[in-house]
Amino acid sequence: MNTTMGVIFANIYETSLGDLTNKRTMASLPYGGRYRQIDFSLSNMTNSGIRHIGIITKHNYQSLMNHVGSGQEWDLNLEEGGLEYLTPFAQGHNGFWRGKLEALNDAIDFFILAKEDYVVLSDSAVLCAVDLNEVVENHIASGADVTVMVKDGISNGVKQLDMAVKADEDGKVTDIAVDYCADESYLACMGIFVMRRDYLIRRVTEAVARSYYHFERDLVMYAFAKLGAKVNAYRFQGVALFNESTAEFFQNSLKLLDPEVRHGLFNRSNRTIYTTVRNEVPSYYGVDSQIDDCIVADGCTLEGCAERSVLFRGVTLGKDAKVKESIIMQDCIIGEGAELECVILDKDVVIGPGKRLCGTKEYPLVIKRGEIV
Amino acid sequence: MNFQKKQCVAMLLAGGQGSRLMVLTENTAKPAVPFGGKYRIIDFPLSNCVNSGIDTVGILTQYQPLELNEYIGNGQPWHLNRSHGGVQVLPPYARSKKSEWYKGTANAIYQNIPFIERYDPDYVLILSGDHIYKMDYAAMLRYHEQQGSDCTIAVRTVPIEEASRFGIMNTNEDGSIYEFEEKPKKPKSTNASMGIYIFNWKVLREFLIADEEDPKSSNDFGKNIIPALLESGHKLYAYEFQGYWKDVGTISSLWEANMELLGTEPEFDLSDASGNRIYARNYAMPSSFIAKESKNENCLVAEGCEIYGNICHSVISNGCIIESGAIVEDSVIMPNVRIEAGAIVRHAIVGEDCVISRGAVVGGSFGPGEEKSISVIGKGKVIPANEAVKPGEIR
Repeated sequence: MNTTMGVIFANIYETSLGDLTNKRTMASLPYGGRYRQIDFSLSNMTNSGIRHIGIITKHNYQSLMNHVGSGQEWDLNLEEGGLEYLTPFAQGHNGFWRGKLEALNDAIDFFILAKEDYVVLSDSAVLCAVDLNEVVENHIASGADVTVMVKDGISNGVKQLDMAVKADEDGKVTDIAVDYCADESYLACMGIFVMRRDYLIRRVTEAVARSYYHFERDLVMYAFAKLGAKVNAYRFQGVALFNESTAEFFQNSLKLLDPEVRHGLFNRSNRTIYTTVRNEVPSYYGVDSQIDDCIVADGCTLEGCAERSVLFRGVTLGKDAKVKESIIMQDCIIGEGAELECVILDKDVVIGPGKRLCGTKEYPLVIKRGEIV
Repeated sequence: MNFQKKQCVAMLLAGGQGSRLMVLTENTAKPAVPFGGKYRIIDFPLSNCVNSGIDTVGILTQYQPLELNEYIGNGQPWHLNRSHGGVQVLPPYARSKKSEWYKGTANAIYQNIPFIERYDPDYVLILSGDHIYKMDYAAMLRYHEQQGSDCTIAVRTVPIEEASRFGIMNTNEDGSIYEFEEKPKKPKSTNASMGIYIFNWKVLREFLIADEEDPKSSNDFGKNIIPALLESGHKLYAYEFQGYWKDVGTISSLWEANMELLGTEPEFDLSDASGNRIYARNYAMPSSFIAKESKNENCLVAEGCEIYGNICHSVISNGCIIESGAIVEDSVIMPNVRIEAGAIVRHAIVGEDCVISRGAVVGGSFGPGEEKSISVIGKGKVIPANEAVKPGEIR
């Protein structure tokens, strides 16, 4: 797909994930034992043949740059095209950009100098494995100015959506709502958009000239409502996980225990999700270990019990420790006889022997990176 | 062209067929045989090179090189994708005068004299692609320099009753070698050669050329070059190595070496924090899923697996599926194997991409002290449902 370029927004919703995104971008939030959220957006693009990708960052992006690096795991370390980090320009009078629209304007040269006809824009909060070729082809066939990827069954009247749309059977959007707790009649936007590059440049430039900054409201909805633009909704049929709050992140992590979700995200035959390699040894299961329905990455030493949990790379689980419905990130150490339930341990947390921690499914207990309990 | 000089170039002999590994090396070179759940044998010497600061490695290939070539690629997993040096695969090639296959280990290096000369090295390190160990070659090189040696050979102490199976270096008190005996009937010492040599390049070059001119020579380091060096009065030293080392050239030693990774204090600790990391080409596979109905005792499981069955004292590699009710004991399961419901695998090595169908039985159990004969299933084989593969049988 040499006619399409990609852009990924690394900083979205970071305030709603509390301590988990306090010192990292949404894009670098660890997920599923060995991944970061951005691995999905990046792999979707490269699996679809997109070879020119910009990553828009705002702050706390060290962990992101450390993870993605030159993009070599995605074969993006190219002479031409490849990966570009679009870090913010401080804009004199108003400092950093306020919204995605201003961020795109900061990076406008990236788009002006590009050669591709189409742009796929993606957030990093929604995890899915999608063939973007199909989405772009659908966009072209629809004759629309903007295509949004949408998912059924997400809007429930309670969850606030960045953008929700109503669409007819052909995908023609008939209503758009922004930052709204839309009811079931709306389709939830997955934060993935397709438009022509020249259209994007024109709309961004004109919107910023009017001091607008909100991408969904001031570009997509404005064009739809005020300029009569045609907006097309692409209904995604596969697994889509919206990790927009701590509770959602927690519940969506445990959804990996469901084979349909697991195989939907990690299809063995194609759509591989790539990530950065850490040369860990295979995980060791001790004689007394009991691991029931868990996702386990490499490099773990498991002597205790774990049930319905996700164990990231390099976790140590002491003898007689009991971990239930918890997310244990990279290199955590859980002491002998410790008991955890509904807990998220960020990286490098140490739980002392015999300690007991308990959260609930709606309010999982989050322990900050590097804490010693 | 004027190249930057390298102090030491490593030459890794990876061209052997490894026929004692039977079906496991039918379509692949021995160094590319999977090991320890996510590694291949060649990862060990390659990682040792990088961890010892050697950044120029020639890999001499000849037998079934395709899989090995792809695995090595540009050397990036071992940080050997360098603009100068790095890893280079060296197959035999046609020349204007005489073209031939690698006739022996020494001939393989002889044919690549032009490669080595490009880096103008002081020393050349010769390695084999069939040993499992972690070693700091830099320490060996320092020893070589301190002794003012022409050739230093890494040795390890073996029990005297086993010494007649090895090449034995008989040394003086200062570590200098006065005699080399290949598989001696009556061994005088217990210093077994590990097949790891450091040569002063100028000396080696001279002897390689001389050896090539001798039509009776079998062009082998152990048989020809080392004896010739000794005879001519060059200084040879033995460098004693203390750590774990295993030649995995046979089915039983390959199986044993895998088993020695297991336990809370394994004989060979891959994750040993003080030791150096072993690098491998990683395939993008999701983390493993371990089901409630499974039971895992004293085993290593790599990523990309789905485990529903029972595993005891085994190594399970990337991308394996062990179905419900299957039993795997005392076995090595190589990458992307499917063991179907109710199948039983005991004391076996199952090659890559195999399928052990429902109810099939591979291998058997052995009492304590009884000699274990290992069953082997070659790469990509499908064992039909309810079929039995006898202990020690090779498919």
